Amino acid sequence: MRLWSISLRNLRIRLVATVLTTTSIVVATALYAAILVMAEQTEQRYTGAYSAQLAIIGPKDASQLEIVLNTIFNVGEAPALFPLKVAIDIRKGREFGYRGQIRYAIPQARGDSVSRHAFPVIATLDEMFTKFELHQKPLEFAAGHGFAFSFDDLLQLAEGMAAHESARRTGEAVVPPRPQLRPEWKKCVIGARVARTLGLHLGGTIVPVHGKYGEFGTHEHPEAACEITGILAPTNSPLDTTIFLPLGVHLLIDGHEGGVFVTPLVPGKNPDEVKKLPVQADQIGLTAIVLDPKDPVGDQILRNAFMRRPDGQVAKPREVMPKFLRDIGSAADVLTVIAWLVLLVASVSITVAIYNTMNERRREIAIMRSLGARRHQILAIITGEAALLSCFGAVVGVTVCHLAAFLMRETVEDMSGVYLEWLQFGWWELWLVLGVTSIGACAGLLPAVKGSMTQVADNLAHSY
Amino acid sequence: MIRLRDVHKSYSQGDHDVVACAVDALEIGSGEQVALIGRSGSGKTTLLHILAGILRPDRGEVEVVGARIDQLSEAARDRHRGRHIGLVYQTFNLLQPFTALENVLLGALFGRGAGHRAREHAESLLRKVGLGDRLHHRPNELSVGQVQRVAICRALVNDPELILMDEPLGNQDRATGGVVLDLLLEIAREGKKTVVMVTHDPESASRMQRTVDLASLRTGVASRAGGRA
Repeated sequence: MRLWSISLRNLRIRLVATVLTTTSIVVATALYAAILVMAEQTEQRYTGAYSAQLAIIGPKDASQLEIVLNTIFNVGEAPALFPLKVAIDIRKGREFGYRGQIRYAIPQARGDSVSRHAFPVIATLDEMFTKFELHQKPLEFAAGHGFAFSFDDLLQLAEGMAAHESARRTGEAVVPPRPQLRPEWKKCVIGARVARTLGLHLGGTIVPVHGKYGEFGTHEHPEAACEITGILAPTNSPLDTTIFLPLGVHLLIDGHEGGVFVTPLVPGKNPDEVKKLPVQADQIGLTAIVLDPKDPVGDQILRNAFMRRPDGQVAKPREVMPKFLRDIGSAADVLTVIAWLVLLVASVSITVAIYNTMNERRREIAIMRSLGARRHQILAIITGEAALLSCFGAVVGVTVCHLAAFLMRETVEDMSGVYLEWLQFGWWELWLVLGVTSIGACAGLLPAVKGSMTQVADNLAHSY
Repeated sequence: MIRLRDVHKSYSQGDHDVVACAVDALEIGSGEQVALIGRSGSGKTTLLHILAGILRPDRGEVEVVGARIDQLSEAARDRHRGRHIGLVYQTFNLLQPFTALENVLLGALFGRGAGHRAREHAESLLRKVGLGDRLHHRPNELSVGQVQRVAICRALVNDPELILMDEPLGNQDRATGGVVLDLLLEIAREGKKTVVMVTHDPESASRMQRTVDLASLRTGVASRAGGRA
């Protein structure tokens, strides 16, 4: 028999009070752990979703944070379009001095989605699977392969679309036919979670949807239904929830005819008049270009060039995200303070719960004292009760947090893009349990002191 | 074993003090079995608590099992009590949530330690008093006589030199209680333990080797012979 076994027995005797008090500790600890789990995994998710050297070209009139969040993390709508000319200039080396300074520059356009999960559809080139790198490695396939749609295909398609659109806008008698969507382009690659969630396999079909699922005006594009040729291996990044299809499919979707061209501001003409002007192939609109400046020199050249350009800007995730995460961290700090307050209230409830039992326990304590128990042993027994209760509550709280992460991981991912790794434990959780146990033990000190001061003779005198 | 000189204990009650216990002199030798008798309110239990080190006298010398416990700190008195003194109360004072064996082990825990050896000793004591099949029963599952025997085992578990008893028969059936008391006295005799029993019951007192009337301790008359040898 040990002192702690007496503490444990005392907790079992007062089971209802023990359960209620433990519940408050469980809630406080689970809340605190949940905040830390979210903050930790959000940071891991956001910092692990891009390579250090990655740069993004986005529209001039969007913020850098918008560009990064939309392009890398699929958050929000694409802020605006910018012309294909930017991609052409980068890839041809025009204005940027040396083409060799850029390892790749892959244009992207987005706007459609798939399923009620709103998995984003990104229209891009085959280079996404041959040149793009995440943490110095090309994207891996769990099954299948990428699709075929090159930059030259894009330029050729853009020429044809521009000729058709210009003739249509200017009212020429002979309008060249609109380029047709080639069957070999109707292929797509899907992320690991898209495949898992929608139960899709190689050879399956993806039908892009325009608009938000369930809202008025939302419509499918069956003409752009694409066969799945590849399923990406899990990356634990937003790529897992992304659907990639060729830019050609995106441009030729019904109803996108005129809207795929960026309308420039022309001095002296109103927008309606501008829409009647002929268009150029390099006016095809993009939402982003992901590129990899080969080295710091390339990075600087890129920055200098875009400081002068009116049609695009450079956003570096490595620079934008830390500030964003600091801001998120501030919100998490506020929640942490709230969690500490809940913990404080819970520890006060421990004090009250045990203190209230002290009167009825005077005889029990007096008996133990008469058997030779010293005051410090009584102190240890009662403090031990509070510590055991808190320790148990903290362990259950951390467990509840992980169970909640398991149950809510998909909901959280839908809401925030963060996929919670519910089995990922950190050393901080051990410290949390020890910290809560210590706080609980401190909360038990007041009743413990009262208990240890119990007068033996008085409480043994007429006890039955 | 026990030596008291000019021991005085009083309590404040309103504006004046009430003398709870006053003993000019008392000596009890090692291995003696002594009954302390006195009318109700004469300070029998107070004296017992002074001997146990639960109360400290206002003045006087109290030597118990080789220690001047009136000079010891509270913690030292607690330790001394746990190791050298076994206590049996009128109400037995068992803790309800604990089984018979655990109640006995509580005595060991605060005395010489409740390790494996203490557990074996506690079990053998309980078997010796006929409770071998009641080790894991709680006090409310035992008869009064069985509870009394558990209390006696708890008092004996540390193999104390001195056993103090406060009205151990209480209001219970004399026949049953007497048998258990005889058992305790037998065990005490075998172990050459000193037994001091506080009682107002002449029949219980008659079982002891010597009877001391508390009232006589103030007049210098230390004791009178009585009971059986």
